[in-house]
Amino acid sequence: MHILGIVISFCAFLLGGLLILRGAVSRLISVFPLFYSYIIYCFCGFLGMYLIYWLDRQVYPSAYWIYYLVSILVEFTVLVEISDQIFRPYHAIRNLGRALTIVISIVLGFVYILPAILGSTPRRPALFDFALRACVTKVVILVVLFYMARHYGSELGRNVGGLMFGFSIYLAMNIAMLSAGKAFEPALRDPILWVMSPLASVLCILVWTISLWELAPVPSVRAITTATGRDSEAVALELTRFNSELSKILHK
Amino acid sequence: MITLFYALIAIAFLILVLGLFGKTRSHEPDEGMPDNHSAPSIGNGRWLHLSERIFDPSDAYWLAEELAFPKLAKALMLGRKRLAIRWLETLQASFDDLVRTPEITPSEASGANSAGSWQMLRLTIRFKLVIFYALLVVKLFGPYHRLIPSFSWVPFLQGSERSFRRAALVNSRSSH
Repeated sequence: MHILGIVISFCAFLLGGLLILRGAVSRLISVFPLFYSYIIYCFCGFLGMYLIYWLDRQVYPSAYWIYYLVSILVEFTVLVEISDQIFRPYHAIRNLGRALTIVISIVLGFVYILPAILGSTPRRPALFDFALRACVTKVVILVVLFYMARHYGSELGRNVGGLMFGFSIYLAMNIAMLSAGKAFEPALRDPILWVMSPLASVLCILVWTISLWELAPVPSVRAITTATGRDSEAVALELTRFNSELSKILHK
Repeated sequence: MITLFYALIAIAFLILVLGLFGKTRSHEPDEGMPDNHSAPSIGNGRWLHLSERIFDPSDAYWLAEELAFPKLAKALMLGRKRLAIRWLETLQASFDDLVRTPEITPSEASGANSAGSWQMLRLTIRFKLVIFYALLVVKLFGPYHRLIPSFSWVPFLQGSERSFRRAALVNSRSSH
């Protein structure tokens, strides 16, 4: 079980390296900068954790928890990247995804995530609860982004669709794992987490590697762009006109 | 129990995501785009002029108060209410057409965080909130109810309310 966990982690590490390499070769790093910064962080994190694991096993648990908790927060950058990419072709709502991500994160952060740390007294259950609630918050954000993308008829394309799908698998596995981890005793929980946690990462990075193998522009947007597209000033002017017409009715 | 609840969330989320991806794949490429002929343009003067007629209460008041045809005035109000709702919904559809229009220039050229983008988002959200509120008020109280709340229930303001209505009536007569 112990070796299996290490092997799976090593696979995730290799896949991460391949993803970064492909990103550099196909110049996807400049298109998805936030996402690749997260992958590079994870890659370096894995490397650092292994160094600590082989050099000083006593420090490893504390170092792992710190890395894990920082990762929970850094994962929000993937959501910001996804939210930016979904509405990128549309002038008027280009920042809608980012605004939704920030607002939901702040609101649920204060109302739902933070009470997990502030309320509980034992440290480990509190940390489990914190990680679990952060995952649920990310799921809420993803669902809202999915809904908004469908509402505005935004084509996700292979790259962004893959990002969302991979992250969804990762989050769903983490929620199942962490909720089970809260229920079981450490003797049963720890070996399962040792294997399942890197397995979730491997599956997620595998989906990301396949979907981000090369840049895939969204076909329908590319077709419409030259035919009916408008420039930024024209859209801003139209938006102002719509608002002023509505204001006229409002003040009658 | 709570573990089961979270496990159900995870399963439901995965099913939802798979379902959404399945639906997206089966869509025709342009299905998400609205029909361009469904809503008139905001630049259409006749269409905008129509809103002034729909939301103008003077003829209904004239029927009810001057000619003493309250039933006819009520029927007119109901018809106008339906028209007002359709007009607002069409305005919303026209706005959604605009919002869903992709840009001409490549996306890399324009910064995602520019102040202009946030300003446009503010205008979009403002419009959505105001039209939601306007539709709500029209559906609940009709087209002649003030969208900005009236203070006619305050005793010393009732006189000014009546004079406001008379002024509206006089204005409409002089314009005809």
